[in-house]
Amino acid sequence: MTAKALEIPPLPYTGEKARLTRAYDYLILVLALFLFIGAFHLHVALTVGDWDFWVDWKDRQWWPLVTPLMMITFPAAVQSLLWSNFRLPMGATLCISCLLIGSWIARIFAYHLWNYFPINEVLPATMLPSALVLDVILMLSNSLTVTSIFGGIAFALLFYPSNWPIFGMFHVPVEYGASQLTIADLFGFQYIRAGTPEYLRLIERGTLRTYGQYATPLSAFCSALLCTLMYPLWWYIGKAFATTRFVKNI
Amino acid sequence: MMKTMKALLGVLLLILCGLTFAPNTALAHGEKALEPFIRMRTIQWYDVMWSKDTLNVNDEVVITGKFHVAEDWPRAVPKPDATYLNVSSPGPVFVRTERYLNGQASVSSAALKLGGDYDFKIVLKARLPGRYHLHPFFNLHDAGAVMGPGHWFEVAGEPAAFTNQVKTLDGNAIDMETYGLANGIGWHVFWFALGTAWLLWWVRRPLFIPRYKMLQSGQGKWLITSLDRKIAMGILFGVPLFVLGANAMTDRQYPNAIPLQAGMDQIEPLPLAVNDGMVKVKVQRTEYHVPARSMTIIAQIQNTSDQSIRIGEFATANVRFLNPGVSSSGTDDADTVIAPQGLSLDSADPIRAGETRTVRVTALDALWATQRLDGLIRDADSRMGGLLFLYDTNGKRHIASISTAVIPKFD
Repeated sequence: MTAKALEIPPLPYTGEKARLTRAYDYLILVLALFLFIGAFHLHVALTVGDWDFWVDWKDRQWWPLVTPLMMITFPAAVQSLLWSNFRLPMGATLCISCLLIGSWIARIFAYHLWNYFPINEVLPATMLPSALVLDVILMLSNSLTVTSIFGGIAFALLFYPSNWPIFGMFHVPVEYGASQLTIADLFGFQYIRAGTPEYLRLIERGTLRTYGQYATPLSAFCSALLCTLMYPLWWYIGKAFATTRFVKNI
Repeated sequence: MMKTMKALLGVLLLILCGLTFAPNTALAHGEKALEPFIRMRTIQWYDVMWSKDTLNVNDEVVITGKFHVAEDWPRAVPKPDATYLNVSSPGPVFVRTERYLNGQASVSSAALKLGGDYDFKIVLKARLPGRYHLHPFFNLHDAGAVMGPGHWFEVAGEPAAFTNQVKTLDGNAIDMETYGLANGIGWHVFWFALGTAWLLWWVRRPLFIPRYKMLQSGQGKWLITSLDRKIAMGILFGVPLFVLGANAMTDRQYPNAIPLQAGMDQIEPLPLAVNDGMVKVKVQRTEYHVPARSMTIIAQIQNTSDQSIRIGEFATANVRFLNPGVSSSGTDDADTVIAPQGLSLDSADPIRAGETRTVRVTALDALWATQRLDGLIRDADSRMGGLLFLYDTNGKRHIASISTAVIPKFD
């Protein structure tokens, strides 16, 4: 009898209690929205930077290596907080959505309206498919280890194919200045930017030529391996820096 | 006390309004920021000209010029193995449609050779109306930007009139201003909608306090329902399958897509234009008189040509000191970095054919200070470089690239 009684779900809050806790939810959500838009966007601008800013930086080697590795950080930390304390499997999607809101605001206002770059030259990459999969792997496994390994791998491996439908068309070749260029390269040549000339692009450097022309899968798997390590590191950073001591007192 | 506070607040408000509504436009491009020895002894610009300075949107302006790569390249600056001839402007108010180095079309970086002579041509197409200050400049890998001379341009017309059509190797004509924009926004909106739906799926139910208390009291299993799990399974398999499908479709749509290009252009220097051997200049001593703001160069000049020559100009870091007694080519009086009376000699007599003479050349102007070149005496590398322009009786020009240690004189 006792065991059966425990199977009844607890009753939801009602009345003033429900109204107050809901108000608290919205308060935290709005604060989190602005916090993650600002903090995560700053983090990505400083670590991924040009790879996310410019269409002619989105190469097949460094872009799929750097971007997932730097973008799994905040999602891991926020997942640690939201899953461990609230069983909310939305940390990664929340962070990446906030990042995209910040990125689009910056691209429209800072890059397009202030500095006149066409928006198609500064389209941000998306990691929302990766974030959704990372969230559901955590939810279904309820395991840091499983999420680190399979979530980290999926987060990195899904990045390039998620973005190829957006950026593939910028890799169509054109003949320009007696050379073959991609349309993306042509953006870099035509739309003058003083601070990041062609030679500063960190593209296609390294020894992946050994493997023929398959640089992207190699970079993606390298990123996947690193993401499996980066994920638990930032999970514990999130755990260390987040506290629920105020909630405990309520 | 309250009155004082109100007055203070009023003043602060006025300052804020002033800063907000009357900002000064930033016109500089950091042309004086680089250390003087780098500006003087790396890329030595000359004969930079502009085809026009008033134009409409879609009109083209051609910037041409020459530069010498100094032989006495500073030890502290990496050799110019990767350089990029660029244009400094307040954003892409012009688009660069063509660029040539030594007559060769060039879109990428190139290595420069020390002592090499180069000419360049850049074609810019006006994109946005306004008044802009543009410089050609060189990005030197690991060293910074070495600015060339600047010039003002007035662009009239409507921004919407700008067009930038390009033909791809597939034969399609594309508009660079809008290419891929709708597709990119469409994908972002799609994924954002899916992400938002997932967030709302969770946000619609009571969140933090009730869930935390349930979890702490051992009732966590009620927080994830079987429907949640089914949706999660759908995402786990559906999203990757959709992503891979869209990726494959894109591959089929653009079968000729290529990676970003990372090659360098190979540009050979021109036949010698500077230090051509007809006039040899050997600097013996150089002093900079700080109070007078004058540079005195004592140099031995050997004229091996068959004509008498006279010194007409000394140019360094885009500052031109002209000898008023000699007519120089390419004088632009509107340019603010010219000292038209700035160069004087100890003797006005020309150096005859075959003669070797020691001359005392003085370049005197406040430009040494205003262009922040006098900081040289406090640099880690107190050497100066520049181009000495000499003209023979037929108006033929000989150019010598000189380099010398500088001794400051403080009295």
